[in-house]
Amino acid sequence: MIPMKWSKKILLALVITFITMQFIQPARNKNGQVLPIDFTKIYIVPANLQVLLQNACYDCHSNNTRYPWYVNTQPMAWVMAGHIKNGKEKLNFSEFGSYPTRRQESKLKGIANSIKDDIMPLSSYKIMHKTANLSPADKTLLMNWMQRKADSLAQIN
Amino acid sequence: MKTILFSIVVLGTLSLAACNNGTDKSTEANKTNADTAQAATPENTDSTKSAAPISAIVGHYLHLKNALANDDGNDAAAAGKAMVGAIDQFDTSSLTSDQKKTYQELAGDTRENAEHIGANADKIDHQREHFEMLSKDMYDLVKKFGAGQTVYQDFCPMYNNQKGATWISETKDIKNPYLGKKMPTCGSVKEEIK
Repeated sequence: MIPMKWSKKILLALVITFITMQFIQPARNKNGQVLPIDFTKIYIVPANLQVLLQNACYDCHSNNTRYPWYVNTQPMAWVMAGHIKNGKEKLNFSEFGSYPTRRQESKLKGIANSIKDDIMPLSSYKIMHKTANLSPADKTLLMNWMQRKADSLAQIN
Repeated sequence: MKTILFSIVVLGTLSLAACNNGTDKSTEANKTNADTAQAATPENTDSTKSAAPISAIVGHYLHLKNALANDDGNDAAAAGKAMVGAIDQFDTSSLTSDQKKTYQELAGDTRENAEHIGANADKIDHQREHFEMLSKDMYDLVKKFGAGQTVYQDFCPMYNNQKGATWISETKDIKNPYLGKKMPTCGSVKEEIK
């Protein structure tokens, strides 16, 4: 066999690495059912608000992610899986009812504040998902609703 | 072509590294939990209020409150992290099952708010938002379990668009943690908790 040049060997190794990467697929975050402890089951959420949550939050903060076409390309899927795991740990709308009332109040305020301070949705997410770019009116709607809900829970706590 | 392939692989390696970090973190968390479990030794079995360990949490809270009053986000973050540590180390074995439930519900929320404060040293406004919820939790914790010292619940009517917010203080003098040096003496004592 003719000895290859080093640069070619390295290139070949890189190509093999990239191809191998494609076979390591993280598990999908997709659970078709809506649990009884879902955010929309424990609270009466107006339809327009549900759409906003779906478009801007649920991909990382629920049990159901709408995956983009590039999900099958590594390392994108790994990055996404990491974001989803982290996001669900902090806040999961699909299991919102499992939080004690005080946690719920805290989370609702946290949601309002994160939107107000422009911490959420993540700017990297907004680049890839145009619908996550909330208009000022959408933001106000979300913040006011979350705040009102938190205030009503505060009276129970 | 080479450049493209190379950048793809670099990206891949980077994200692999990122994934590894994630795993490390969770292992660390598990370890901390295990450590805490091991460190848990029964104390104060005969008292209804376990004032000593709660006072550690209160101490970090007061440190945090003073840091915010001084507009010092870094110090506030340090206090927030210390508070998370104190909550993790708190020994619930001396509590009755009812107390334990109350504690866990309150401390769960407290811990989360303290964690956010610890992670946002450069965003003092965001720290203050979490401090508002935290102060509410602290009030209930102190009411239920005792602070180990006399504390005061103060109220600032101006914070949060005139909605107002409370905090717990170790002194009668007002040192406002929400408005900081801008309006250090805004507020009044609402309740003395012994």
